[in-house]
Amino acid sequence: MNRNLTKSIYRLVGYIHIFNTKKGNRLLPFLVFFCVSSYSYGQMNISGKPGLIYVPTAVETKNGSFIFGYVHNPIDYSFRRNGQHSESTYYINLTIFSRLDINLNLMRMNGNIAHADKGIGDRQLDFKYLILKEKKYQPSLAVFVSAPFGIDNSFTSNAIVATKTFKFTNNISAQVTGGYGSPYYFKRDESEKTNYNIFEGLSLKNKKDLKYRYLSGPIGGVNLRYAKKGGIMFEWDSQHFNIGAYGVLFKKWTIQAGVMNFDQITFGTSYALNLKSLPKRLKQANEN
Amino acid sequence: MKINILFTGILVAFISSVSMAQTAQSEAIRKSLWLNYENTTLDSINGKVYYEQRIDRNPLYGLLEMRKSLANKRFTEYLPMFQGVIIANYKLGPKITASVPTLEEREKQRIKFLPHPSRYKFDFWIQPEFSAIFGYRDQVVQSNTSILLQTQFYLWQGMVLNAGILFPITNDKDGHEKIIRPAPVFLNQFFAFGKNFVSASAGYFYNDQYGVNVQYRHADMTSPLSYGLEAGLTGKYYYAKDGIYTGPLEQLFLQADVAYRLNRPDVTMKLSGGQYLWKDRGVRVDLIRQFTNVEIGVYAMKTNNGSTAGFNFIIPIPPGKILQGKNARLRTADQFRAEYSYTRGFQIGERYRTGYQLDQKLRQYHTNYLNSQRE
Repeated sequence: MNRNLTKSIYRLVGYIHIFNTKKGNRLLPFLVFFCVSSYSYGQMNISGKPGLIYVPTAVETKNGSFIFGYVHNPIDYSFRRNGQHSESTYYINLTIFSRLDINLNLMRMNGNIAHADKGIGDRQLDFKYLILKEKKYQPSLAVFVSAPFGIDNSFTSNAIVATKTFKFTNNISAQVTGGYGSPYYFKRDESEKTNYNIFEGLSLKNKKDLKYRYLSGPIGGVNLRYAKKGGIMFEWDSQHFNIGAYGVLFKKWTIQAGVMNFDQITFGTSYALNLKSLPKRLKQANEN
Repeated sequence: MKINILFTGILVAFISSVSMAQTAQSEAIRKSLWLNYENTTLDSINGKVYYEQRIDRNPLYGLLEMRKSLANKRFTEYLPMFQGVIIANYKLGPKITASVPTLEEREKQRIKFLPHPSRYKFDFWIQPEFSAIFGYRDQVVQSNTSILLQTQFYLWQGMVLNAGILFPITNDKDGHEKIIRPAPVFLNQFFAFGKNFVSASAGYFYNDQYGVNVQYRHADMTSPLSYGLEAGLTGKYYYAKDGIYTGPLEQLFLQADVAYRLNRPDVTMKLSGGQYLWKDRGVRVDLIRQFTNVEIGVYAMKTNNGSTAGFNFIIPIPPGKILQGKNARLRTADQFRAEYSYTRGFQIGERYRTGYQLDQKLRQYHTNYLNSQRE
């Protein structure tokens, strides 16, 4: 009976051909499906933008570059409930056009959270526009803007930043970044329950009223890189001096850590893909 | 001297065996690629190939792999179809060019379609569905998650019955029973004449709406401008333990849109407006970026109920095909769509989904999109 059934299924299907028989193919993780071969810049700052530790850089990212990751912000340098909860930020950064990046991040407080603070977390939408691309004598210049319609954002990135790379040897280079973070930001005086017009109730606020003044004033730093494999970083984030290091594995996976103000540790990881590059299967067919 | 001849002989034998092994391998690749296609017609006199490829959302796969699979320079014109209807006639040169299918080509395909059962595989695919609301204190995420096992039955040219089984995983978004139930069951007629396309659906759709929905679009695969109309009349439905509950047909959905595809930067701008669900009226602007396998859009809208912004994306579900034979196939869905809105509740510009959105389907076939991937 059972055999008959199997037989008839076989007849129905014709012959069954199992794909992905190549070794390892089956193990391809979810996102590798989108496939990539080119290297993308992988070191990300606290809100998930190509950058140093807190400071974003104006480095040009490749069109179609898609980076996702996680970063931990220590308790005494956290944004929402400074001194009470450390924070976890999850992010996606997409270079949607060659000069425009879209950055989405979700910040969640760690530990036991008071009932009134419960929720999915702070969701934020940020943009980066590359005004100038780096040339021999010209630094790259980028402006960062946070979407003004947030109602409960603990940290915003409104800054203008320039970055220039100085090459010492074939492998060793220094990426120097300097810029200014706006001490003002937009906020909407609104509650989730009446949030039906994202352009209503917009007001200009000063960051000095916040628990932590993220990117408020002059910012800058340097990333000493060894090839595309890793580097060490020093930065002034407008409030503190921070030191960090990162390494890139398999050209796509970045692991990073840093010390805030010689005091507490931040760490994170990210994975870089390119949505524009052709998957292997299509590349092969294209060559025909 | 003798040794030399012998050696040359061995060398020749070795080389030919290697090249034979290579042809055997590429032959096997070609055959396995061929299995991806359905409803294929080879017109070797005119060098045309008509085919359908349901595995990949991006038609470039079908085009390039058909060329590889044929490995015959005589075939120069490729006519991909959707639900048995030709979308356009493509020529694969250094640049892909397209032309509108002639009446003769359409007629040829229509006749070929009639003895259809053997021309299509039994095609089953696994499709996840997920919708969620964020933000309540006691339950941070309220979600509806389910896995659908879907299939399609081809009734006549352009006409498809979509059906399947829905397996619920979570349901705390609405009070409906968590029961294994039919997946959205609906008929869809796809139709094309010249540069005009129609998709008409009737049945039980996604997002708990049942009724009828008609989409019309004027689209030229080589010109940047396209426009469309959409109309629907639907009502609410859901499954309970003892059967299906349907509300009155009270939702009139009316939309008009104009889309323009820029080449540099590579983006489609779409302006749409009309009446949404819950009698909400307003306008919406979309910026859509098409990558190889992923489509990402950002939007902003203003309606009577409020204004909001957000983003949406379409991704394929890996790994694609799981099992495939001559007559049947099991695969994962070629597309998973999701949209995130900055506000929740308030019923701002909401809509329901049928199987596919006509504008979204057609922009995949634009020559600029196809060519942009080969740069």
